[in-house]
Amino acid sequence: MPLLGDSQVSLADWAFLALGAVAVVTAAASLLVRELVHTILWIATFFVALAALYFLLEAPFLGVLQLGVYAGAVTILLLFGVMVTRKRIFSREAATGLRPAPIAAAGLAAVVVGAVAVEVGGVAGLPSSPQPYETTSLSAALFGTYGPWLWLLGLVMMAALAGAIYLVREGRE
Amino acid sequence: MTLDPFTTAGLVGLSGALLGIGLFGIVTRRNFILLLVAIEIAINAAVLNFVYFAAFASNPSSGLNGQSAAIVVIGLAATEIAVGLAIVLALNRIRGSINVTEATALKL
Amino acid sequence: MFLQDLASWAFLVPLLMVLSFVLVGFLGPYLKNWREGGWIAVVISGIAMVLGLLIAAGEMLSPGRYTDLHTTWISVPGNGTGVFPNGFSLVMGTLVDPISALMLIVVNVVGFLVLLYSIEYMQHDRGLSRYFAELSLFLAAMNGLILADNLLEFFLFWELVGVCSYFLIGFYYEKPAAASAAKEAFLVTRVGDVLFLLGIFVYFGAYATAGAAGGWAANGFLFVHGTNPYIPIGTGANPTLLTIGGLLILGGAAGKSAQFPLHVWLPDAMEGPTTVSALIHAATMVAAGVYLLAVASLFLGFTAADQFAIVAVGGFTTLFAATMAVVNPDIKRVIAYSTISQLGYMVLAVGAGFTMVGLYHLFTHAFFKALLFLAAGAVIHAVGTQNLFKMGGLRKVMPVTWLAFFVGALSLSGIPPFAGFWSKDDILSSLYGTLGAHPDYWPFFLMAVATVFLTAYYIFRAFFLAFGGDHPRDDSLPHGHDPSWIMKGPLMVLSGLAIFAGVFVFIPGFSNLLPGIGVPPTYTVTDILLSAMSVGLAGLGIGTAYVLWGNGRVFTLPDDSPLQSIRTVLLRRYYIKDAYDAFGQRVIYGIARIADFTDRFVIDGAIHGAERSFAGLNRRMRGIQSGVVLDYTAYVVAGLVVVLVVLLVIAPWLLSMWGGT
Repeated sequence: MPLLGDSQVSLADWAFLALGAVAVVTAAASLLVRELVHTILWIATFFVALAALYFLLEAPFLGVLQLGVYAGAVTILLLFGVMVTRKRIFSREAATGLRPAPIAAAGLAAVVVGAVAVEVGGVAGLPSSPQPYETTSLSAALFGTYGPWLWLLGLVMMAALAGAIYLVREGRE
Repeated sequence: MTLDPFTTAGLVGLSGALLGIGLFGIVTRRNFILLLVAIEIAINAAVLNFVYFAAFASNPSSGLNGQSAAIVVIGLAATEIAVGLAIVLALNRIRGSINVTEATALKL
Repeated sequence: MFLQDLASWAFLVPLLMVLSFVLVGFLGPYLKNWREGGWIAVVISGIAMVLGLLIAAGEMLSPGRYTDLHTTWISVPGNGTGVFPNGFSLVMGTLVDPISALMLIVVNVVGFLVLLYSIEYMQHDRGLSRYFAELSLFLAAMNGLILADNLLEFFLFWELVGVCSYFLIGFYYEKPAAASAAKEAFLVTRVGDVLFLLGIFVYFGAYATAGAAGGWAANGFLFVHGTNPYIPIGTGANPTLLTIGGLLILGGAAGKSAQFPLHVWLPDAMEGPTTVSALIHAATMVAAGVYLLAVASLFLGFTAADQFAIVAVGGFTTLFAATMAVVNPDIKRVIAYSTISQLGYMVLAVGAGFTMVGLYHLFTHAFFKALLFLAAGAVIHAVGTQNLFKMGGLRKVMPVTWLAFFVGALSLSGIPPFAGFWSKDDILSSLYGTLGAHPDYWPFFLMAVATVFLTAYYIFRAFFLAFGGDHPRDDSLPHGHDPSWIMKGPLMVLSGLAIFAGVFVFIPGFSNLLPGIGVPPTYTVTDILLSAMSVGLAGLGIGTAYVLWGNGRVFTLPDDSPLQSIRTVLLRRYYIKDAYDAFGQRVIYGIARIADFTDRFVIDGAIHGAERSFAGLNRRMRGIQSGVVLDYTAYVVAGLVVVLVVLLVIAPWLLSMWGGT
């Protein structure tokens, strides 16, 4: 099937294709650049592109969450990690020598993921327009049906907090 | 907005490509921070799938299921980043480096 | 009435002895001045004895009564189908009936006297608190056994009694002979115990599947199943199963009561303290086997085939054990063989259907046998040896002991009016009365009669060897003297009982404990002739013993006498123990060696082979463990790939191969 030139393709579809391309490019770039600070910048862009995709898919709350948690907090955390582990912020990463097992695995993974995409992509019968949701109904589901999961998530976060403090505390060798 | 099966394939292809990039990063990068970045890319691929299938769910409640799952995953990913950076700091203090190939204490 | 009501409190008797066990066992080592708690055991067992006697008195006042108190222990609900449509329950409780009241007297009187006697007899031994605690536990178990109101509870106490016997035979555990005798007793009686347990299963199965009498099984083996306690329920069940059950019960009784062919352990059990021999291996525990047979005959009933087997075992053992006592040089072993022989009489009587007569002999035997053992204990205590051929002339230095042993020997020989006469005579005349209906009992009747002569001979042989003459045959022996009053007291009380216990049954109230015995004493001419014959045989035995061994004489068989070979066979105990040992050495050890070989080369070989191959695999696999996280992630990704390939490629392909969708 032709990817472009189809008269049926709408503006939203064009936007989707563009944002997807941005996401793939920024993701790849963030892993390929030699400078860690540039990596952070690329990944921040990636997060923003994804947030835009979420808005496009009628999930505005998730989009906001993506912006706040990922583009904001996670990016800052990663930057903080870079800052405290380096004497100079802009220093180049040593050339990445490749180990044979990872390369083989990555190759296989790429093949299989492609196969999966084709396989699943062939499934037809999905509705033709995205289902919009009120954020309030999402909130009701989240604090109603999924209340226990939210509690569990909170507990995991508490545990992670305690673990993180334990890991970085002074005097530990 | 209309999305036909072709676009469906395109979107799943997008998340598949992101997952592939993430996996590639996970197995090839030696810098711990890059490792974390690669993991985040892979997780975001999954979240994207949740959101996508939520948008095209056949009934509203399963759509809410998808978005709720996405929220939980985002929360877990944020948590994971916090712990991961704590490990980065500890590793940096102990070894003076955040190269994961140097931390081989798991060896028999 | 106060006395009759006491039957509901019978459970206190075993509980008191458990209390004594706990107190002596835990506090004994700190009570050096009280014989390490020995006095506590004596006092508590005295209380238990008084309580037991009062309960027995209550039974004497209420003939034919039984008091059953029980609580449900395990309850299994039924589901309307299967073997137990209404389910069944196991109970624990006490049953006070005439025969258990009789046993209460025997066990607690002899137990108290033996404990008192032990205070002096054991004073130089180490581990006194252990000794008294174990004796207390034994008395608790024995009292529990005789008060048990169902077969399963009976079996539990039966095992407890057995383990106490093991502990006490091995009291001098640092002596190899005592340790191995304890093991032998435990293992041989274990054979009987397994048979007993199987017998319980068979009876349970037989009655559970028999519609009419199924209530017995549903009520958890309860002995009491009607208004009259002594009516056997043997109706409605498969007679073959009942016969098998009876034979298995006989096997259990033979183990505990040392009947042929499981008799080998009792003579060796004499390695324990003499007091233990007196209480456990003569008066009470070994009588438990007879008591089991009595209970089984009264409550369960035996088939004719069972009865013949029991009569055969009892009759044969009677003569068989007596012959071995004739030549033995050890004073305790002579009495031990006599115990086996006398237990044979009891088994014989119970088997022939005269349960009460058998219990009557159990009652009298307990007293005179305990007396003989305690007198022998006094002798051993004084001269420090058990070898009859080293003793001699003890009559002059130990007159009280001499008299006690004399009374016991007369009672055992069956000389009127001593206790043994009445019960043994009752057995012989009862058995004689059945010979018309059961001509196949003749050989065993003749064996029992022959044993009368042998009994009198061997016990008076021991008597003359120990007490006759002027001086010990071995000059190095210390000069004996009578023990103090703590030991003399029990001897005298038991002497009195050995004289008079036989005529107790002519007291109207006492006869209620042995329904059908003694009252009214109707003696036919045949009975009197039979009595005269047995007394005559006993007198002949005593006379022979006097001629051969009296006044310090020592009879020696000439070397070329044909009797020498018989003597050797008897001294070697008919080679039965050797045969058992050989069986153990050849067969069991052979099996053990095969098992050892299998274990070493087949099983261990497989295990070591597996271990070696895994070790090799390990050496190759450990290279994968680089410790580098990236490599591990690569394996995870590879695993993911495999899963995806299986899920998306191989599985659909297989499904399409089988025509699936």
